[in-house]
Amino acid sequence: MTAETAQIFKDAAPDLKFRAKWYTRRLLIYGTLLFWTVICLFPIYWTATTSFKIAPDVMQGHIIPWLDFDPAWRGWRSLGLSPQTIFETSTVREEFLKRFTNSVITSLSASALAVVLGSMAAYGLSRFTYRLKFIKNRDISFFFLSQLILPPVVLALPFLVLYKELALLDSHIGLILLYTLMVLPIVIWIMRDQFSAIPVELEEAALVDGLSVWKAFLQIVLPIALPGMIAAFILSLVLCWNEYFFAALLTSTDAKTIPVMVASQTGSQGINWWSMAALSFAAILPLVIIGIVLERFIIKGMAAGAVK
Amino acid sequence: MAEVTIRQLRKSFGSVEVIRGVDIDIPDGEFVVLVGPSGCGKSTLLRMIAGLEDVTGGTIRIGERVVNNLPPAERDIAMVFQNYALYPHKTVAANLAFSLKVRKTDRAVVKERVEQAAETLGLTPYLHRYPRQLSGGQRQRVAMGRAIVRDPQVFLFDEPLSNLDAKLRIQMRTEIKELYQRLGTTTVFVTHDQIEAMTMADKIVVMQDGLVEQVGTPLDLFDHPRNVFVATFIGSPAMNLIHGTVRRDDALHVEANGHTLPLRPDVEAPDGQSVVYGIRPEHLDLTEDDEGFPARVSVVEPTGSETLVFLRFGETEVVALFRDRYAFKPGETVRLRPRTDQTHLFDSATSIRL
Repeated sequence: MTAETAQIFKDAAPDLKFRAKWYTRRLLIYGTLLFWTVICLFPIYWTATTSFKIAPDVMQGHIIPWLDFDPAWRGWRSLGLSPQTIFETSTVREEFLKRFTNSVITSLSASALAVVLGSMAAYGLSRFTYRLKFIKNRDISFFFLSQLILPPVVLALPFLVLYKELALLDSHIGLILLYTLMVLPIVIWIMRDQFSAIPVELEEAALVDGLSVWKAFLQIVLPIALPGMIAAFILSLVLCWNEYFFAALLTSTDAKTIPVMVASQTGSQGINWWSMAALSFAAILPLVIIGIVLERFIIKGMAAGAVK
Repeated sequence: MAEVTIRQLRKSFGSVEVIRGVDIDIPDGEFVVLVGPSGCGKSTLLRMIAGLEDVTGGTIRIGERVVNNLPPAERDIAMVFQNYALYPHKTVAANLAFSLKVRKTDRAVVKERVEQAAETLGLTPYLHRYPRQLSGGQRQRVAMGRAIVRDPQVFLFDEPLSNLDAKLRIQMRTEIKELYQRLGTTTVFVTHDQIEAMTMADKIVVMQDGLVEQVGTPLDLFDHPRNVFVATFIGSPAMNLIHGTVRRDDALHVEANGHTLPLRPDVEAPDGQSVVYGIRPEHLDLTEDDEGFPARVSVVEPTGSETLVFLRFGETEVVALFRDRYAFKPGETVRLRPRTDQTHLFDSATSIRL
């Protein structure tokens, strides 16, 4: 039996060469991917570990916990978030939670508003033909995107003056409106592509099936465009959550957000790296979780099978 | 079910007029095919009946109602789109049930109707699949199922078979006709394929450039085309057209390329009128005597059941279709005799039948 199943054909020299090439290629591809993963994840690792370091560890560039340095709760204690301090009253923790809530309110509201407004604008741009003298759909789309060309710094002073006049300084609404404006162009561009990919016949079929224009949009177009909307929402959320410039400029006590608080972790004896790291890590975490949770909804090719 | 009456219908996109005053009567329960080359306005006309395009002028009546300004939902029509337009996020069952659910139909009724439609269309095993998991033919059937579950007044088909491969197309053609015979619902079917039109229609509407060229039964159009366009559009291979002059000396005939072509005696045309002489390829017979006209063979296409021969009569290209097998050689000259009672004559200036 063993004799009968014994190998008869063997890889010849060219086969071996091919095999070697194949393995080398795999090795290179996965090696590169691994390397890139390390590069991408290292800052997060560094931030996380730094929050457990004390001053000398930070300065001497110790990296591996327990081996290089002894992890301590120093950074987290300064935020009132370490196991020892979590049940005690802590003004820093209260401030952190307040800033955190501010960030949640502004970025969630701005993103939601941008996705709703942007989707409607994009739907209009993808379905109807507008003509304002020489301005056509393409020009309107570009006009939206061109808002991103202007450097934010240029807008700083006008906004400061405007918000002062409108009494929107240091208010949630002011920041929400500004962030909505900031991410709207991107949302419109993403959603315009999404809607363009949905055949018009689907809506027409819905109309014939007995729906009104609005119901056809809500029941047929929206569910199909949902993955794109979620992608746009995540992107907006990230951009709003991390926005520092205008937050620092237009807020002071009430509406201050997390990035501003992170940046202000500089004491009289220099920068408190550990508490800044702890704060940064706490600021990153929600985005990571949201990203992981919502990513599964971004399924490619939702519209597949609709036509032909 | 209802009849559809279209009166002086017009449609303009900006300054371009695509439907230029169309009158069509579609009696209750009839299968009407709108046929014409692409861009003739047939799809636009169908979409106007559906309510997906505004009416620029004229009226569309479904039953007793003028529907010009009614939204599609209130016209009680069902439409099958060229690209099927299935809801990709709904299963086959949900696709079929959708229009009924929108109309708040009783659940038990919905279930029954969907099952019935699925049974008729052979979709029962696929009810829980999504459109992307179906083949082209199956998707096409779902699209039809979505139309039939509602039992509408009128069915509208917009080139539903053009995305299928040739074999499936022929099969579906027969199946759609059978479905229509069972349901008996008034149907408007748009196609650019004249064979589809001929095989399926009770009545064909031939359109060109936004105008109706002729309305009639398939055989009526085939036997009595009203003008040169209809004559060449209906029938495959297309009718031969030979330019010539009417002669009324000893017997009525047409003179072309110095030869005599026979004519039906009832034709009313004065001597010397310049005309287009039409004869279908299958109405040409081989002959040994000096009747008919000589033609030089250029290409022979044997199909087994028939022999298709391309010939030259002077400068004119002529096609002949024989039921028998012939082994002509290219360059050989044969004599062809048109069957007198199957000849067509058109005015060469107006292209209108004489």
